Amino acid sequence: MPPGLRLICLALVLALPARADTVLKVYVSGQIATPVFRKALDRFEAANPGTHVQIEVGGATSEEQAQYLNTVLSAGDSSLDAFLLDIVRPAQFAAAKWVTPMNSAIGDPKQFMKQYLPEYAKADTVKGEVVALPAFADAMFLYYRKDLLDKYHLQPPKTWDELATQVKTILAGEHDPTLEGVSFQAKAIEGAVCTFLLPYWSMGNSLEQDGHLTFDREAATKALTMWVNLVKQGVAPKNVAEIATDDTRKDFQAGKAIFAVLWAYGWADFQGPDSAVRGKVGVAVLPAMTGGRSVSCLGGWQWGASAYSKHKPEAVKLVKFMSTPDISKLLAVDASLLPVFPSLYHDPEVLKADPWFADALAVVQTARTRPVTPLYNQVSEIIRTTVNAVLAGTQTPEQGAAQMGAQLRRVLH
Amino acid sequence: MDPKPAVLAAVLLAPAFLLLALIVVYPVGRLIWTSLFELNLTSGLPAEFTGISNYVLVVQDPVFWQTLTNTAVITVVTVPGALVAGMVLALIANLPFRRPWPVRLALLVPWAMPLAFTGLISAWFFNSQYGVVNDLLRRIGLPQPIWFNSAVLSMAAICLTIIWKASSFVAMILFAGLQTIPRELYEAADVDGAGRLRQFWSVTVPLLRPAIVVAMIFRTITALQTFDIPFTMTRGGPGNTTRTLAMYIYQNTVSFLDLGYSSTLAVVMFLISMAVSVVYLRQIRATT
Amino acid sequence: MRLRGAALRPIAAFLVLVNGLFPAVWMLLTSLKSEAELTRTPITWLPANATLVNYVHAFHEQPLLRYLANSLIVASASTALTLLVSVMAAYALARLDIRFRDLALGAIIAVSTFPLVTLLVPLFEILRALGLLNSYGALILPYTVLSLPICTLVLVSFFESIPRDLENAAMVDGTTSVGALTRILLPLSAPGVATAGILAFVNSWDEFLLALSFNSASAYRTLPVGITLYQGEFSFPWPEISAALVVGIVPVTVLIILFQQRILAGLTAGGVKG
Repeated sequence: MPPGLRLICLALVLALPARADTVLKVYVSGQIATPVFRKALDRFEAANPGTHVQIEVGGATSEEQAQYLNTVLSAGDSSLDAFLLDIVRPAQFAAAKWVTPMNSAIGDPKQFMKQYLPEYAKADTVKGEVVALPAFADAMFLYYRKDLLDKYHLQPPKTWDELATQVKTILAGEHDPTLEGVSFQAKAIEGAVCTFLLPYWSMGNSLEQDGHLTFDREAATKALTMWVNLVKQGVAPKNVAEIATDDTRKDFQAGKAIFAVLWAYGWADFQGPDSAVRGKVGVAVLPAMTGGRSVSCLGGWQWGASAYSKHKPEAVKLVKFMSTPDISKLLAVDASLLPVFPSLYHDPEVLKADPWFADALAVVQTARTRPVTPLYNQVSEIIRTTVNAVLAGTQTPEQGAAQMGAQLRRVLH
Repeated sequence: MDPKPAVLAAVLLAPAFLLLALIVVYPVGRLIWTSLFELNLTSGLPAEFTGISNYVLVVQDPVFWQTLTNTAVITVVTVPGALVAGMVLALIANLPFRRPWPVRLALLVPWAMPLAFTGLISAWFFNSQYGVVNDLLRRIGLPQPIWFNSAVLSMAAICLTIIWKASSFVAMILFAGLQTIPRELYEAADVDGAGRLRQFWSVTVPLLRPAIVVAMIFRTITALQTFDIPFTMTRGGPGNTTRTLAMYIYQNTVSFLDLGYSSTLAVVMFLISMAVSVVYLRQIRATT
Repeated sequence: MRLRGAALRPIAAFLVLVNGLFPAVWMLLTSLKSEAELTRTPITWLPANATLVNYVHAFHEQPLLRYLANSLIVASASTALTLLVSVMAAYALARLDIRFRDLALGAIIAVSTFPLVTLLVPLFEILRALGLLNSYGALILPYTVLSLPICTLVLVSFFESIPRDLENAAMVDGTTSVGALTRILLPLSAPGVATAGILAFVNSWDEFLLALSFNSASAYRTLPVGITLYQGEFSFPWPEISAALVVGIVPVTVLIILFQQRILAGLTAGGVKG
């Protein structure tokens, strides 16, 4: 090549702007297995050369995470491109215009969301727009002591009344003063909302329909009464109003409870080396109210793309990628996180890593999502304070239900 | 030579006020400004100027009055409580010990423990099954209540925890004050035949008055802003019986995203705090 | 009379020690227990099988030493700044007869009457504009302001309680105001300065909300935020968290005891103790 041409070629190459790599920052709550997410994001980087993803961790609990995101997004900050959201947040974030809708990337929303567990479509769709995609699932399970139930020739209870009877039988036979019947949460935490909704939904009621309140006072009274009666009969501990999620886990793990109403994370701890109940635990669908159906409370986390991101198309792409069966399987196998795709519950590799997912599927399929409304936090506040007051004994179920109705009517119309 | 007093004063005060201007003026200004608007981030609507109608809403809000009452109870109980406890602790720490550092350490540690965890630890101490308090009651043979099933007992547990922590703060300030009281004054009182108690009231308390007032101002302002301890111990329960004004403000800001309303509540808290502080500040003026 | 007083002294000291140190000692004991032991009834006080494994876990799971270092840097710097600024301001308010003294005091106090959570977002914006987010400055600056009211007021009350005679005498002899401040007033107010320093340091050491919001990068994360990360979404491992808390408290108290003794020794050496 003549030297002049060489020089021109060199000049052209040098003049071309270097292809800048895109760096995406992803916010993952501290509690979730960060190494596994790193692995998943590495796969994304491999599939999208030129894009790097950094993980930001902060705020272990759902509340702290929300507090942090709240600050950053209220300030319109572009430092985060995507984040994991607790299942109850997408509606509020969408209303505050903090997330980028996914519709442009997924085609027909209804069709696209069919691949997931059905209630996620409800949780992540706001006014026809899909605002978040499921990352991994969670639900409330009935954990039970297989050894104790076997000893008394009992099958997992189908109704709460049956559960009460079983507990009385076992307690009478065991003569263990430290053994409780059923541990559940009535401290004024988010889980207390599920405590209320489980029996309420079981009777076929809904709290809201399309953002409108559909509160049934009688059903609410019955729901609260069910729990109060369990305490009165000695089937549930009297101090249930101070019990938070991890207290249930610790009690059941120490062998102090026959039944526990708890999220999926308990399983790994119950089978861990420090557990007093290793190998003695089974999971079942939650009992129903008499004449009702078995339901569970849906949890899990969702990926959202920040509306303030400077790389919106890449962020949306990332969100979509992280919500594929491939990644869901990775999370299931490496971190025992429940998949959001029903098909994966039959996958041999997944079952090899988490054999109990076979039982888990039945529970997850009965799970319903809490009210999807931008005012969810107000609704949650009302329900959890009422549950707390009623189960502390400072209010009767009737008073609680009346108060709940009055307050909910002021928030949701 | 000294510059003119006015110039010197300006120079000495400048750094403090510059820092305040930089860090505080804009946020506080924006807060007061926002309180005049209806602004809820979940409505998706832009801020709407509503003047003082937010303040009217506050006055009509039963939850506000409940949280204000709870906060008042906490203030009225823990401010004198911390003063008395802090005074006792400071006086004991001031005794001539051969090795003073363990007692001084014990004076300081409660304040040094992170507030957020103090509440969690206290919730655990008052836990009806696994808590130390009920274990001690059991050993003495007294009944062991379920503290968090009762509004009164929950409030008692919260106030005890706050007094425990705040008395450390008060004690440190009073202890420093005690150091500056010249021994001659006590010796002179001894000569006059005054007993310990008389000396306390006629020598110690008057000379400690400035320190007491300072401690009380900040103890009161902090009491009005009580958040961490009730939040971690009871989440405001049972029901709303231990929910404080600061918790309500937090909820409206972070949870409900109702910024207009939470700004209004914050301004109300500021007004109450300033009213109280003015009363205290007059006390300082009276002593100098 | 005197004998009775001397006999009561150790009892009084014991009460103070128990009151102040019981929770900390409890945390220490907890940090040596396993989680299973915490759900035993009746509860155990001393650990059944003391173990250091929680400390190992605590250091292994998170860069605890780095968090400690960050907290140390931020707290020390903000304390030094606070003391400097508040000593100057307190001198002006206490010794120089200013017309707007009460207003100035009121303004300084007013700063601390607003709940921090309501100032969070505007503060975030300011720090972002200054380019300070995720750096030591993001916390040093606000912490200095946070402790300014209490430190200034403590110092004002201290300065005012000390008679002006010595300073006036010195100034008649030709000393400047600043000289009187540093060579006479400060040594006499040593306990007040030490206390203000301790209050500022502890405030900065334990602060959580701003540290969570402004310094999310783990390189700059401070201790209180780091300790909350031992939690899971639901799980709260008391033994591990106790270990981290113990690690967090020990340096603070050691530092403060040393600091307090040094300051008292250093400042009173030059002054005249009453």
